[in-house]
Amino acid sequence: MGNAIEIRGASAGYGKTPVLEDIDLTIATGEVLAVVGRSGTGKTTLLRLIAGAVIPQRGEVRLIGADPAAARRAKRIGFVGQNAALHPWRTVVQNIRLPLDVNPADVEDGPTPEEWVARIGLAAAANAYPHQLSGGMRQRVALARSLVADPAILLMDEPLSSLDELTRDDLRLELVDFWGATRTVVYVTHDIEEAVWLADRVAVLGGHPARIAGIVPVALERPRTPALRRDARFLDLVDAVRGLLA
Amino acid sequence: MNSARRTIVDLLIAGAAMGVIAIALEIWTAAFHVPGYLVPAPSAVGARLVADWAMFLREAAVTIAEASMGFLVGTTVAFAIASAMVRSRVLERTLFPLAILVKLTPIVAVAPLFTLWFGFGSAPKVAIAALITFFPMVVNAFVGLRSADPQEVAFLETLGATRTEVFRHLRVPNALPYLFSGARISLNLALIGAVIGEWTGADHGLGRVILVANANLDLATLFAAVLLLAAIGIAANALVGTVERRVLHWHPVELAA
Repeated sequence: MGNAIEIRGASAGYGKTPVLEDIDLTIATGEVLAVVGRSGTGKTTLLRLIAGAVIPQRGEVRLIGADPAAARRAKRIGFVGQNAALHPWRTVVQNIRLPLDVNPADVEDGPTPEEWVARIGLAAAANAYPHQLSGGMRQRVALARSLVADPAILLMDEPLSSLDELTRDDLRLELVDFWGATRTVVYVTHDIEEAVWLADRVAVLGGHPARIAGIVPVALERPRTPALRRDARFLDLVDAVRGLLA
Repeated sequence: MNSARRTIVDLLIAGAAMGVIAIALEIWTAAFHVPGYLVPAPSAVGARLVADWAMFLREAAVTIAEASMGFLVGTTVAFAIASAMVRSRVLERTLFPLAILVKLTPIVAVAPLFTLWFGFGSAPKVAIAALITFFPMVVNAFVGLRSADPQEVAFLETLGATRTEVFRHLRVPNALPYLFSGARISLNLALIGAVIGEWTGADHGLGRVILVANANLDLATLFAAVLLLAAIGIAANALVGTVERRVLHWHPVELAA
């Protein structure tokens, strides 16, 4: 079904500080690409580049054949950050509705905010405010918010890193269900095992300014189970990614 | 419920504090035979308030109306200007020095000028109250509107939000706590503004009552009017507090309280 994201020879940075150099990356529609790298290598900048929040100094970025600004206006992009960043003055269901309240473009028929509340298991807390929720609940709300406008591309920046381990394990299992099979996902994480477990391919960023040090295809069957983490193939892939990071 | 009860408790504490001061003053004036034209006994002030309550109420209503109107005008203009300053750096650089100029203008000096321009009606009082309200509100509104988290702005932009939508959905709610703290300062300033306006020429209002009483060395009336002004100020503060607790129930400060 073609490519959702095409980055060709893109360099980007802030002012005179180059962060990313000569990035070539093509992500197919429906693919889950994990991006790993050491702290400060520019993983977040890569997401911002895709979202059009950072303009490439050289090269270009195309999302579904259009430039990122057009994709943004058409609500093709969903985003989940490290912190849920919910609006404290909005209830759970109002927070999920936010993408529909701004830029009210045509939104495909997907689940409504109310249906999303039920789907993330927070029906009882639909009218609660963020301060009344746990960290895991807040991150679920952020996830539902990112998907309510049914974006073709979902960008995630270490969405589980602020959660405790058990919550992280639960949410990781649910993520794939929420994404669905047709959505293109770029998933930034510092957790190599998480990257391998979730992704179809793992891209490794390294160096200053960062380039793509390598891409590891993950040919493991879906649906993936927690037991997969002890599989020899899985561990080999984790080693391969770790090797590229060294 | 809870917030109403808290307001009542606040008012009771303020009233008790004033009561203690009044008792101390009463004992002092009685023990040392302080003449009434220097410091009136609180009982004399109270007696005057009771005797002339209809007059005091009528004059207070005038001052409250002028101060409220001035507060509304000043806040509206301040919010509009702060919004413009947040939108454009050029406007910020142009308007901020002007706002400081307004702030530095001695109100007492320009008050007679306002009477000259706007006549003896309520207009100059409203204008002075608005002027004195303006600066704290413009600073608070500007800081509040600008303090929105850049990451949240970026997030809204990934949703294709326009600047107006970022303003409405993020900047305004984010500025509310700042606006409320500005309002706490400005409401009392607006009262002072209305009183100063009344000093430069008025037929009504507590400022006028103070001025006339002062000329007649009628300190009981003067203190009664000042006391009434203080009560109005405290009530205004309590009102802002109540509205604030309702509106900002989600805010960390309110949650901690």
